Amino acid sequence: MRRFIANPDFRAGFVDMLPAALALVPFGLVCGVGAAAAGASLAGAVGLSAIVFSGAAQILAVQLLAAGAPLVVIVLTCFVAGLRFLIYSAAMAPYLRPLPPRWQNGLAFLLTDQAFAAAVRRFDAGGDARAAGAHFLGSGFALWAFWQLTNIAGYFVGNLIPPAWSLDFAVPLCFIALVAPHFRTSPTIVAAAVAGVGVLALAALPMKLNLIVAGVAGIAAGTLADFAKERWTAR
Amino acid sequence: MDGALKLWSVVAIVGVLNYLSRVSFIAIFARRHVPVLLARAFRYVPAAMLTALVLPMIVAAPAAPVLASAPKIVAAIVAGAVAFVTHSTLKTLAAGMLTLWALQFAGFAFG
Repeated sequence: MRRFIANPDFRAGFVDMLPAALALVPFGLVCGVGAAAAGASLAGAVGLSAIVFSGAAQILAVQLLAAGAPLVVIVLTCFVAGLRFLIYSAAMAPYLRPLPPRWQNGLAFLLTDQAFAAAVRRFDAGGDARAAGAHFLGSGFALWAFWQLTNIAGYFVGNLIPPAWSLDFAVPLCFIALVAPHFRTSPTIVAAAVAGVGVLALAALPMKLNLIVAGVAGIAAGTLADFAKERWTAR
Repeated sequence: MDGALKLWSVVAIVGVLNYLSRVSFIAIFARRHVPVLLARAFRYVPAAMLTALVLPMIVAAPAAPVLASAPKIVAAIVAGAVAFVTHSTLKTLAAGMLTLWALQFAGFAFG
Protein backbone atom coordinates (compact mmCIF):
# COMPACT_ATOMS: atom_id res chain seq x y z
CA MET A 1 0.00 0.00 0.00
CA ARG A 2 2.80 2.41 0.92
CA ARG A 3 4.33 1.75 -2.50
CA PHE A 4 1.14 3.00 -4.13
CA ILE A 5 0.71 6.04 -1.88
CA ALA A 6 4.24 7.11 -2.83
CA ASN A 7 3.34 6.85 -6.53
CA PRO A 8 2.44 10.32 -7.93
CA ASP A 9 0.16 8.83 -10.62
CA PHE A 10 -1.80 6.82 -8.02
CA ARG A 11 -2.22 9.98 -5.93
CA ALA A 12 -3.24 12.05 -8.97
CA GLY A 13 -5.86 9.41 -9.86
CA PHE A 14 -7.20 9.46 -6.30
CA VAL A 15 -7.51 13.26 -6.29
CA ASP A 16 -9.00 13.42 -9.82
CA MET A 17 -11.83 11.10 -8.75
CA LEU A 18 -12.86 13.15 -5.69
CA PRO A 19 -15.51 15.30 -7.51
CA ALA A 20 -17.19 12.15 -8.92
CA ALA A 21 -16.90 10.43 -5.51
CA LEU A 22 -18.63 13.45 -3.95
CA ALA A 23 -21.43 13.26 -6.52
CA LEU A 24 -21.96 9.59 -5.56
CA VAL A 25 -22.38 10.32 -1.82
CA PRO A 26 -26.23 10.48 -1.97
CA PHE A 27 -26.32 7.33 -4.14
CA GLY A 28 -24.15 5.46 -1.64
CA LEU A 29 -26.36 6.62 1.24
CA VAL A 30 -29.48 5.40 -0.61
CA CYS A 31 -27.84 1.99 -1.20
CA GLY A 32 -27.02 1.71 2.52
CA VAL A 33 -30.58 2.68 3.48
CA GLY A 34 -31.91 0.07 1.03
CA ALA A 35 -29.73 -2.68 2.47
CA ALA A 36 -30.89 -1.86 6.01
CA ALA A 37 -34.54 -1.74 4.87
CA ALA A 38 -34.16 -5.17 3.23
CA GLY A 39 -33.08 -6.55 6.61
CA ALA A 40 -29.42 -7.11 5.70
CA SER A 41 -26.90 -7.39 8.53
CA LEU A 42 -24.04 -4.88 8.53
CA ALA A 43 -21.72 -7.62 7.19
CA GLY A 44 -24.22 -8.44 4.43
CA ALA A 45 -24.55 -4.77 3.47
CA VAL A 46 -20.78 -4.33 3.37
CA GLY A 47 -20.40 -7.59 1.41
CA LEU A 48 -22.82 -6.24 -1.16
CA SER A 49 -21.11 -2.87 -1.56
CA ALA A 50 -17.51 -4.17 -1.32
CA ILE A 51 -17.85 -7.24 -3.57
CA VAL A 52 -20.69 -6.45 -5.99
CA PHE A 53 -19.50 -2.80 -6.08
CA SER A 54 -22.20 -1.56 -8.46
CA GLY A 55 -24.90 0.87 -7.33
CA ALA A 56 -27.45 -0.29 -9.92
CA ALA A 57 -27.03 -3.98 -9.00
CA GLN A 58 -27.12 -3.19 -5.26
CA ILE A 59 -30.35 -1.15 -5.51
CA LEU A 60 -32.04 -3.82 -7.62
CA ALA A 61 -30.80 -6.63 -5.35
CA VAL A 62 -32.06 -5.07 -2.10
CA GLN A 63 -35.42 -4.10 -3.64
CA LEU A 64 -35.94 -7.61 -5.03
CA LEU A 65 -34.76 -9.21 -1.76
CA ALA A 66 -37.23 -7.04 0.17
CA ALA A 67 -39.98 -8.08 -2.28
CA GLY A 68 -39.14 -11.76 -1.73
CA ALA A 69 -38.13 -12.46 -5.36
CA PRO A 70 -36.49 -15.85 -6.09
CA LEU A 71 -32.68 -15.96 -6.16
CA VAL A 72 -32.57 -16.73 -9.89
CA VAL A 73 -34.58 -13.59 -10.73
CA ILE A 74 -32.37 -11.39 -8.54
CA VAL A 75 -29.19 -12.77 -10.08
CA LEU A 76 -30.49 -12.50 -13.66
CA THR A 77 -31.74 -8.91 -13.19
CA CYS A 78 -28.45 -7.78 -11.63
CA PHE A 79 -26.49 -9.50 -14.40
CA VAL A 80 -28.51 -7.83 -17.18
CA ALA A 81 -28.21 -4.44 -15.45
CA GLY A 82 -24.43 -5.07 -15.33
CA LEU A 83 -24.12 -5.95 -19.04
CA ARG A 84 -22.62 -2.52 -19.62
CA PHE A 85 -19.47 -3.74 -17.85
CA LEU A 86 -18.87 -5.97 -20.91
CA ILE A 87 -18.73 -2.83 -23.05
CA TYR A 88 -16.39 -1.07 -20.66
CA SER A 89 -14.21 -4.19 -20.56
CA ALA A 90 -14.02 -4.37 -24.37
CA ALA A 91 -13.20 -0.65 -24.57
CA MET A 92 -10.52 -0.83 -21.83
CA ALA A 93 -8.84 -3.99 -23.15
CA PRO A 94 -6.55 -2.34 -25.74
CA TYR A 95 -5.36 0.23 -23.17
CA LEU A 96 -4.55 -2.42 -20.56
CA ARG A 97 -2.81 -4.85 -22.95
CA PRO A 98 0.72 -3.51 -22.21
CA LEU A 99 0.22 -4.10 -18.45
CA PRO A 100 1.07 -7.37 -16.64
CA PRO A 101 -1.86 -9.84 -16.15
CA ARG A 102 -1.92 -9.18 -12.40
CA TRP A 103 -2.63 -5.50 -13.08
CA GLN A 104 -5.23 -6.33 -15.74
CA ASN A 105 -7.14 -8.63 -13.38
CA GLY A 106 -6.93 -6.17 -10.49
CA LEU A 107 -7.96 -3.10 -12.46
CA ALA A 108 -10.91 -5.02 -13.96
CA PHE A 109 -12.43 -5.27 -10.48
CA LEU A 110 -12.40 -1.47 -10.22
CA LEU A 111 -14.11 -0.97 -13.58
CA THR A 112 -17.21 1.13 -12.84
CA ASP A 113 -19.13 3.73 -14.86
CA GLN A 114 -17.18 6.64 -13.37
CA ALA A 115 -13.75 4.96 -13.26
CA PHE A 116 -14.17 3.86 -16.88
CA ALA A 117 -14.89 7.39 -18.11
CA ALA A 118 -11.91 8.80 -16.18
CA ALA A 119 -9.56 5.98 -17.29
CA VAL A 120 -10.34 6.41 -20.99
CA ARG A 121 -9.59 10.14 -20.69
CA ARG A 122 -6.28 9.43 -18.90
CA PHE A 123 -5.13 6.66 -21.28
CA ASP A 124 -6.08 8.78 -24.32
CA ALA A 125 -3.92 11.59 -22.94
CA GLY A 126 -1.00 9.31 -23.84
CA GLY A 127 2.25 8.60 -22.04
CA ASP A 128 3.41 5.51 -20.24
CA ALA A 129 0.76 2.76 -19.86
CA ARG A 130 2.06 1.93 -16.37
CA ALA A 131 1.58 5.53 -15.24
CA ALA A 132 -1.98 5.52 -16.64
CA GLY A 133 -2.55 2.15 -14.93
CA ALA A 134 -1.42 3.56 -11.59
CA HIS A 135 -3.74 6.54 -12.18
CA PHE A 136 -6.63 4.11 -12.83
CA LEU A 137 -5.77 2.22 -9.64
CA GLY A 138 -5.81 5.47 -7.67
CA SER A 139 -9.13 6.65 -9.08
CA GLY A 140 -10.74 3.21 -8.77
CA PHE A 141 -9.54 2.88 -5.18
CA ALA A 142 -10.90 6.36 -4.33
CA LEU A 143 -14.33 5.39 -5.67
CA TRP A 144 -14.31 2.02 -3.91
CA ALA A 145 -13.26 3.52 -0.56
CA PHE A 146 -15.81 6.35 -0.67
CA TRP A 147 -18.48 3.91 -1.81
CA GLN A 148 -17.91 1.74 1.28
CA LEU A 149 -17.95 4.76 3.63
CA THR A 150 -21.17 6.19 2.18
CA ASN A 151 -22.89 2.77 2.10
CA ILE A 152 -22.03 2.18 5.77
CA ALA A 153 -23.14 5.73 6.68
CA GLY A 154 -26.42 5.13 4.85
CA TYR A 155 -26.91 1.81 6.64
CA PHE A 156 -26.68 3.47 10.07
CA VAL A 157 -27.97 7.03 9.72
CA GLY A 158 -29.73 7.04 6.33
CA ASN A 159 -33.17 6.86 7.91
CA LEU A 160 -32.47 10.13 9.76
CA ILE A 161 -32.49 12.04 6.45
CA PRO A 162 -35.90 13.74 6.05
CA PRO A 163 -37.98 12.24 3.19
CA ALA A 164 -38.77 15.82 2.04
CA TRP A 165 -35.17 16.09 0.79
CA SER A 166 -35.98 13.44 -1.88
CA LEU A 167 -32.50 11.95 -1.56
CA ASP A 168 -33.70 8.93 -3.59
CA PHE A 169 -33.86 11.17 -6.64
CA ALA A 170 -30.05 11.36 -6.64
CA VAL A 171 -29.97 7.76 -7.94
CA PRO A 172 -31.71 8.38 -11.30
CA LEU A 173 -29.72 11.63 -11.60
CA CYS A 174 -26.41 9.72 -11.42
CA PHE A 175 -27.58 7.47 -14.27
CA ILE A 176 -28.91 10.46 -16.27
CA ALA A 177 -25.41 11.96 -16.00
CA LEU A 178 -24.05 8.77 -17.60
CA VAL A 179 -26.66 8.21 -20.30
CA ALA A 180 -27.58 11.72 -21.55
CA PRO A 181 -24.21 12.40 -23.22
CA HIS A 182 -24.79 9.23 -25.35
CA PHE A 183 -27.84 10.72 -27.07
CA ARG A 184 -25.94 12.02 -30.09
CA THR A 185 -26.74 9.44 -32.79
CA SER A 186 -30.15 8.31 -34.05
CA PRO A 187 -29.68 4.55 -33.29
CA THR A 188 -28.77 5.42 -29.69
CA ILE A 189 -31.94 7.49 -29.36
CA VAL A 190 -33.98 4.62 -30.88
CA ALA A 191 -32.42 2.16 -28.37
CA ALA A 192 -33.24 4.45 -25.45
CA ALA A 193 -36.77 5.23 -26.71
CA VAL A 194 -37.70 1.55 -27.17
CA ALA A 195 -36.21 0.62 -23.78
CA GLY A 196 -37.94 3.57 -22.10
CA VAL A 197 -41.39 3.01 -23.59
CA GLY A 198 -41.04 -0.74 -23.00
CA VAL A 199 -40.08 -0.48 -19.34
CA LEU A 200 -43.07 1.77 -18.58
CA ALA A 201 -45.55 -0.16 -20.75
CA LEU A 202 -44.54 -3.45 -19.10
CA ALA A 203 -44.51 -2.03 -15.56
CA ALA A 204 -47.19 -4.56 -14.58
CA LEU A 205 -44.73 -7.48 -14.99
CA PRO A 206 -43.71 -8.91 -11.62
CA MET A 207 -40.24 -8.74 -10.08
CA LYS A 208 -38.90 -6.01 -12.38
CA LEU A 209 -38.88 -8.39 -15.35
CA ASN A 210 -39.83 -5.32 -17.43
CA LEU A 211 -36.24 -4.10 -16.97
CA ILE A 212 -34.77 -7.19 -18.66
CA VAL A 213 -37.36 -7.37 -21.46
CA ALA A 214 -37.25 -3.63 -22.25
CA GLY A 215 -33.46 -3.42 -21.98
CA VAL A 216 -32.93 -6.31 -24.41
CA ALA A 217 -35.61 -4.91 -26.77
CA GLY A 218 -33.87 -1.52 -26.71
CA ILE A 219 -30.47 -3.07 -27.53
CA ALA A 220 -32.06 -5.01 -30.45
CA ALA A 221 -33.86 -1.89 -31.73
CA GLY A 222 -30.68 0.20 -31.57
CA THR A 223 -28.71 -2.47 -33.45
CA LEU A 224 -31.40 -2.75 -36.17
CA ALA A 225 -31.55 1.05 -36.48
CA ASP A 226 -27.77 1.09 -36.84
CA PHE A 227 -27.85 -1.43 -39.73
CA ALA A 228 -30.79 0.41 -41.34
CA LYS A 229 -28.95 3.72 -41.11
CA GLU A 230 -25.86 2.14 -42.67
CA ARG A 231 -27.95 0.78 -45.58
CA TRP A 232 -29.56 4.16 -46.06
CA THR A 233 -26.31 6.13 -46.11
CA ALA A 234 -24.55 3.52 -48.31
CA ARG A 235 -27.08 4.02 -51.12
CA MET B 1 -34.54 -19.86 1.96
CA ASP B 2 -33.05 -18.18 5.02
CA GLY B 3 -32.74 -14.39 4.52
CA ALA B 4 -29.04 -14.12 5.38
CA LEU B 5 -28.15 -17.14 3.22
CA LYS B 6 -30.08 -15.63 0.30
CA LEU B 7 -28.33 -12.27 0.69
CA TRP B 8 -24.88 -13.90 0.77
CA SER B 9 -25.81 -16.04 -2.25
CA VAL B 10 -26.65 -12.82 -4.12
CA VAL B 11 -23.35 -11.26 -2.99
CA ALA B 12 -21.36 -14.30 -4.15
CA ILE B 13 -23.13 -15.00 -7.46
CA VAL B 14 -23.66 -11.38 -8.56
CA GLY B 15 -20.15 -10.54 -7.35
CA VAL B 16 -18.65 -13.30 -9.53
CA LEU B 17 -20.86 -12.45 -12.56
CA ASN B 18 -20.06 -8.74 -12.27
CA TYR B 19 -16.35 -9.47 -12.05
CA LEU B 20 -16.53 -11.83 -15.05
CA SER B 21 -18.31 -9.08 -17.05
CA ARG B 22 -15.63 -6.58 -16.04
CA VAL B 23 -12.66 -8.86 -16.76
CA SER B 24 -14.20 -10.48 -19.88
CA PHE B 25 -12.53 -8.66 -22.74
CA ILE B 26 -9.56 -7.50 -20.67
CA ALA B 27 -8.40 -11.05 -19.91
CA ILE B 28 -10.72 -13.92 -20.86
CA PHE B 29 -11.53 -13.02 -24.48
CA ALA B 30 -8.52 -10.76 -24.91
CA ARG B 31 -7.28 -12.67 -27.95
CA ARG B 32 -10.70 -13.46 -29.44
CA HIS B 33 -12.20 -11.47 -32.27
CA VAL B 34 -15.55 -9.92 -31.34
CA PRO B 35 -18.26 -10.91 -33.92
CA VAL B 36 -19.56 -7.96 -35.97
CA LEU B 37 -23.18 -8.28 -34.81
CA LEU B 38 -22.14 -8.42 -31.16
CA ALA B 39 -19.83 -5.43 -31.52
CA ARG B 40 -22.69 -3.49 -33.09
CA ALA B 41 -25.17 -4.49 -30.37
CA PHE B 42 -22.63 -3.53 -27.68
CA ARG B 43 -22.81 0.14 -28.66
CA TYR B 44 -26.43 0.33 -27.56
CA VAL B 45 -26.21 -1.46 -24.22
CA PRO B 46 -25.56 1.62 -22.04
CA ALA B 47 -28.29 3.76 -23.66
CA ALA B 48 -30.93 1.00 -23.51
CA MET B 49 -30.08 -0.45 -20.06
CA LEU B 50 -29.57 2.88 -18.29
CA THR B 51 -32.78 4.33 -19.76
CA ALA B 52 -34.76 1.25 -18.69
CA LEU B 53 -33.18 1.55 -15.24
CA VAL B 54 -33.85 5.29 -14.82
CA LEU B 55 -37.41 5.85 -16.10
CA PRO B 56 -39.26 3.80 -13.45
CA MET B 57 -37.40 5.80 -10.79
CA ILE B 58 -38.80 9.06 -12.23
CA VAL B 59 -42.27 8.21 -13.54
CA ALA B 60 -44.66 6.85 -10.91
CA ALA B 61 -46.74 3.71 -11.53
CA PRO B 62 -49.49 4.15 -14.18
CA ALA B 63 -52.18 4.12 -11.49
CA ALA B 64 -50.77 7.23 -9.79
CA PRO B 65 -51.88 10.68 -11.00
CA VAL B 66 -49.52 12.16 -13.60
CA LEU B 67 -49.14 15.30 -11.51
CA ALA B 68 -47.47 13.28 -8.74
CA SER B 69 -44.36 12.67 -10.87
CA ALA B 70 -44.44 16.00 -12.77
CA PRO B 71 -41.73 17.72 -10.64
CA LYS B 72 -39.42 14.70 -11.02
CA ILE B 73 -40.01 14.54 -14.78
CA VAL B 74 -39.19 18.24 -15.20
CA ALA B 75 -36.12 17.96 -12.94
CA ALA B 76 -34.93 14.90 -14.89
CA ILE B 77 -35.24 16.77 -18.22
CA VAL B 78 -33.26 19.71 -16.82
CA ALA B 79 -30.62 17.32 -15.45
CA GLY B 80 -30.46 15.51 -18.80
CA ALA B 81 -29.80 18.78 -20.63
CA VAL B 82 -27.05 19.70 -18.16
CA ALA B 83 -25.48 16.23 -18.49
CA PHE B 84 -25.63 16.40 -22.30
CA VAL B 85 -23.74 19.70 -22.32
CA THR B 86 -21.35 19.38 -19.35
CA HIS B 87 -20.70 15.57 -19.02
CA SER B 88 -20.36 16.30 -15.28
CA THR B 89 -22.04 14.06 -12.69
CA LEU B 90 -21.72 16.72 -9.98
CA LYS B 91 -23.33 19.47 -12.09
CA THR B 92 -26.09 17.09 -13.24
CA LEU B 93 -26.81 16.13 -9.64
CA ALA B 94 -26.89 19.77 -8.51
CA ALA B 95 -29.13 20.89 -11.39
CA GLY B 96 -31.58 18.00 -10.90
CA MET B 97 -31.85 18.28 -7.10
CA LEU B 98 -32.17 22.09 -7.11
CA THR B 99 -34.89 21.94 -9.79
CA LEU B 100 -36.80 19.29 -7.86
CA TRP B 101 -36.55 21.21 -4.59
CA ALA B 102 -37.65 24.47 -6.27
CA LEU B 103 -40.67 22.76 -7.88
CA GLN B 104 -41.61 20.98 -4.65
CA PHE B 105 -41.31 24.26 -2.74
CA ALA B 106 -43.42 26.09 -5.36
CA GLY B 107 -46.01 23.29 -5.21
CA PHE B 108 -46.05 23.52 -1.42
CA ALA B 109 -46.43 27.31 -1.52
CA PHE B 110 -49.11 27.54 -4.24
CA GLY B 111 -50.51 24.02 -4.51
